[in-house]
Formats: sequence, structure tokens, C-alpha cells
Amino acid sequence: MNTGFLQSVRALIALKPKQKLTAQYLLSLGVAVLLAFLVGAGIMLLSGYDPITCYGAMFQGALGRPRALGNTLAKTVTLCLTGLAMSLAAKAGIFNVGGEGQLYLGGLAAAMVGAGMEGAPGWLIILCAILAAMAAGGAYAFLPGWLKVKLKVNEVVTTILLNTAAIYFCSYVANGPLKTAERGIASGTAMVSKAAWFTPLIRLSNLTTGVFYAAAVALIVWYLMTRSTVGFEMKITGTNERFARYGGIRAERLMLWGMVLSGMICGIVGFIEVFGLHHRFLTTISSEFYFDGMLVAMIMRYQPVGVILMSFFFAILNIGGSAMELSAGISSELMLIVQSIIIFFMAAEGGISEMVRAHAAARRVRRAAKHAERGQAL
Amino acid sequence: MSEIFNLLLFQNTLRTATPVVLCAMGCLLSDQVGIMNIGVDGMMLMGAFFAVLGSYLFGSWAMGLLFAAGIGVLLGLFYYVFSIKFKSDEFIIGVALNILAGGLTVFLLRTLFGVKGSFSGPGIVPLPTIRIPWLEGVPVLGAVLSGNTLLVYVSWLLVLGIWVLLYKTPLGFHLRASGEAPEALRASGRSPERMKRLASVLCGLLAALSGAHLSLGYLTMFSENMSASRGFVAVACVIFGASNPPRVFLAALLFGFIDALGLRLQRYIPSDLTSMAPYVITVAMMVVVVLLRRKKQRSTL
Repeated sequence: MNTGFLQSVRALIALKPKQKLTAQYLLSLGVAVLLAFLVGAGIMLLSGYDPITCYGAMFQGALGRPRALGNTLAKTVTLCLTGLAMSLAAKAGIFNVGGEGQLYLGGLAAAMVGAGMEGAPGWLIILCAILAAMAAGGAYAFLPGWLKVKLKVNEVVTTILLNTAAIYFCSYVANGPLKTAERGIASGTAMVSKAAWFTPLIRLSNLTTGVFYAAAVALIVWYLMTRSTVGFEMKITGTNERFARYGGIRAERLMLWGMVLSGMICGIVGFIEVFGLHHRFLTTISSEFYFDGMLVAMIMRYQPVGVILMSFFFAILNIGGSAMELSAGISSELMLIVQSIIIFFMAAEGGISEMVRAHAAARRVRRAAKHAERGQAL
Repeated sequence: MSEIFNLLLFQNTLRTATPVVLCAMGCLLSDQVGIMNIGVDGMMLMGAFFAVLGSYLFGSWAMGLLFAAGIGVLLGLFYYVFSIKFKSDEFIIGVALNILAGGLTVFLLRTLFGVKGSFSGPGIVPLPTIRIPWLEGVPVLGAVLSGNTLLVYVSWLLVLGIWVLLYKTPLGFHLRASGEAPEALRASGRSPERMKRLASVLCGLLAALSGAHLSLGYLTMFSENMSASRGFVAVACVIFGASNPPRVFLAALLFGFIDALGLRLQRYIPSDLTSMAPYVITVAMMVVVVLLRRKKQRSTL
């Protein structure tokens, strides 16, 4: 590949303004958030709750105490990593909607290793568990990726179906062959060796040393995407597959790799949840975390800073929502409604602002025409 | 063996396949006009909830169906407005709709009925079963074909009706054109957007009715997340049925058969594994269809 080709491609990528977070886009985001909160307040009023009390309880519950803040930050990390997994695949031109299943399998693999290596030093257990989680998540992503690349089977549908299959499979394992002998654990595997537990950074909170692993993953991905040839080739493939092929890039191999790496990250998310939070695999390890992270990444146009900020915001809604349910009594599912409204409007942002502009332009033209008419009449 | 493979198995197949058939017919229409509707799973869930709500409030299954149909039409219109009018990413809208449906139904379940998990009770009036005397006369299968709920028969008629609509009427021609060649349709003086709106609304309607069958026909209750990815299975059925109504119907029946078989094997195999089977087999079927198509192409070359 000669440098002239690379330069022209760089210019092409730089010319894609839609991918950037413009000031106007951020303004729309603010409006969407405000609108979603207003709708939420309306629902609260309709169901007989006081919006100010409810929202107060939500923010208090998400940010009010160090422990709460720790939980919110831990959730932010989860959303960021899943968003990163989505971005990585999307940039290579393939959609990974199967992160939920990959997360489950990664968590299960990590828990199996963690429980099986009882007695080994902590660092060794962690290393093996990471590798196992990556292998499980990556392998489960490889399947739909390979089907897409070799047989052109729609990856969106296969990954969604494989999610459900993986969740049932993990439920089978956690309730059947690997069910813990402990009492009081509904459906979970045996406990991970205590030597390998992550230590909480804030007392009693979910924020643990697991964050450092997440940061390491993010750093590696950042390097891969922005500083390496592979990342560059991936970017071109995701932007314009035909152009990439013309430049001699093997788009298919990259798509497959994007998918597998994405699955590996999801596996690591499962590993962090197991070692940091539950210390065993539970069937309730994730409640559609991947989908939240995926949508955050999509509406923030895969821009890292935007994804981090939006993940933090969604984490507030999520953690604060449960606190709101406890103290104000309103069902925390309301926050899912607020979230989806934000997503709807951000997805429609381009179309709506285009319509508003066209409307304004039409009105200007009409006014000008009226002016001209009046001028003639005089 | 006879305990598993008997007439009841086929009866169960029909019952489990019908929601997928109804939903797949909606997806098929949407697919024909070029809209990929991932949101059908959420539409199905909403339909299931509102059917129970209508049935419970008015003590009538017809009101349940009406409620489900109403919410389905609204959601279909919503999907159309966002994906076509506002030019949003269909995929994002679909996933967000599924999240909204999951959140809203649980929120309403807790706020209106004050229960968690599921709502059932004598107040919910299920869909009546219909006996068709002349079908009962059919040897062996008579007992399976007759005595089903209303929506089962509706789904059969729909397969035929949609096939006739798409391939034998001018409207169907325009519907297909709006997906394949929207500019050609526009040049002939018709609006592709109107066709897309029609298909999207019908898709929402059918997806919601499939939910109604789930909560009023198949069971008489609503439980959280009761659609259980059936909407996605319907999308998969449309893909490997190549958007052809009879083929999509067969694919959905096959799914129902595996699902029903799994339910009966639960005495021998853990239920998680039997629940997993339909999804794995659906993926496998998608692969097989692609392989078969390739083989065919190669042999015609």
C-alpha cells in the first residue's frame, strides 16, 4: 500500500462530518434529555408520585454518598466497555448484537476458572480467568462473524438468537452441573477463590480494582484503533468496504477480527462482573447491559469522550432508578422509558433538524415572495 | 415414544407456532417494503400486555384484541415516523423500542395491577376456542385442526391473504415496488412513503396481535418479558423463508414444532436446554438455507 493511497483515505475519513459530535448535536442531546425527563415527570404525576421527590431520590441515590457514587462509576465502566465492544465491531463494518451472550459465557468461563484454581496465587487465577473469558466471548462471536463473512448470513439476527441460546445455556450450567452446594444461592456456580477477588476502591461499593483491567482494555483498543495498521484498515473497511478492497485490504478477515475482538471485550466485561461484584457466576449477572452500552455507543457516534459521558449519565439513571424505587416507591422501570425516549430522539436528531431547517427555509421563501408581491403592488 | 409423539404434540405445535406466524407475516410485509423491523419483539410484548389490560378492564376478549390492535397500529405508525420520516437508523429505533416495551409493560404492571413478575386472575377473559365441524371430520388431524382459538385461524387465512395481496393485486405490486424500486414507483405517480406507512402499520398490528395470542390464547396471563425473543425468531423466519408467505409459514411451524417438542421433553432433559434448542436450530436453519441456495446457484450455472 503506498502512502498516497493512505493520504487520500485519511482525507475521505476526515470529510465525514456526520460522525463527529458537533455543538448542534450536543445541543439536541440536551433537549432530548430534558424532554425525556419531562415525559418521565408527566408519568410520575399521572401515577400519583411527586416528580421532584422522585428525581431527587434518583440523583441522591446515584451520587449522594461515596458508596452510591462508586456503584454509579462501576456501572459507567460496564457501559463504556460494552459500548467499546460495539464500536470496535461497527468500525470494522459488522454489527455485534450478541454481546449479551458473549458477556454471559465470558463470565461463566471466568467463574469456572476462578473456582477451579482454588489455592493458586491470585494473579495467576486472574490471568487464567481473563484468558478463559476472552476465549469464551471471542469464540462465541467468531461463529456469527464467520457465518457472515463466509456465507453472508445476517449477523444481526444470528447474534440476537445466539444471545438467548447462551443465556439459557448458562442458566442450565448454573442450575445443573455446576450448581453451588451452598445454601441460599438460587442459581449460581461455586465461589471464586478469595485470593483473586478484586478489592473495592470505595468501601462497600461495586467500584473495585476491576476498573484498572477495564482501563487497560480501553487503552489497548484505543491503540489498536488509532495507532496501528489494523485499526486503520478496520476504519476504512467500516467506512467503505469496496474502497478498502480496491486498496488491497482483506475486508472479510478484518470484519471477522472486529467481531472476535468485540466478543473478547464482552467476555472481559463478564469476567469483571464476576470477580468484582458477585464473586461467582449468577444467572442475573447482566440485565441487558450490552444493549444499553451498544445504544450509548451508537447515539454518541462511537466518539470515546461522548461515550464515557453518556455512559455516566445512563449509569445515574440505572443506579439512581433502583434507589428511587426503594425510597420513593415508584417502579424503577420508569428509567428505562426515560432512556428509550432519549435514544429515540437522538436517533431521529438528523431527520428532525433537517425537517426544521427545511420548514424554516420554506417560510423564508414565502415571506420573501410576499414582500416582492407587496413591492409590485405599490 | 408414544408419550411424546402424539396428537397433542401437533396441537401444541400450532399453539406455539401461531404467535411466530402472526408476527412473521407482519415482518414479511415490512421486509417487502424495505424496512427491517427489529422492534417487533417489543411490539409483541406491548400487544400481550394491552390485550390482558383490555380483557381485564372490560371483561371481554374482544376488547382485549381491540386494545392490542390499537397499540399495534400506534407502534407501527411510530416506527414508520421515526425510521422513514425522521430518517433514523432502523436498527437503533428497533432496539430502543424493545427497551421501551420491556420498561413500559413492567412499569404499568406494577403501577396498574400492583404486582411484580406476572399478572393472572379470573378477571382476564381468554380467547374462545372455535370448533369447526367439517374440519373435525378430517381423519387423524381433525382434532388438531378444529377447536383452536380465533387467532390460529386468522393466522392461516393471513398466510393465504398476504400471498394473494402481494402477488395478485395492484396494491401488493406497489408495496413490493416501494421496497425494490421506490424511484420507479414515484415516477409512476405513487408515493413509496404511503406504501411503507401501510406496511409498517400492518406489521405493528400483526405483531401486537401475536402478542395478544400469547397472553390471551396460549396462556391467560401476562408475565414480564413474555415475548422471549419470539419476535426475533419471526425475523429469522422471514429471512430464511425469503419473504415468501408459505415458506415463512413453514419455517414458523418448524420453530413451533421444536418448541412444543422441547416442552414435552422437559421430563427427560433439563428445561433450560430444551428452551435453548429452538434458537440454536433457528440459526442452524438459516445456515442450511444459505447453503442450499448456493448449491442451487452453482448447479444452474
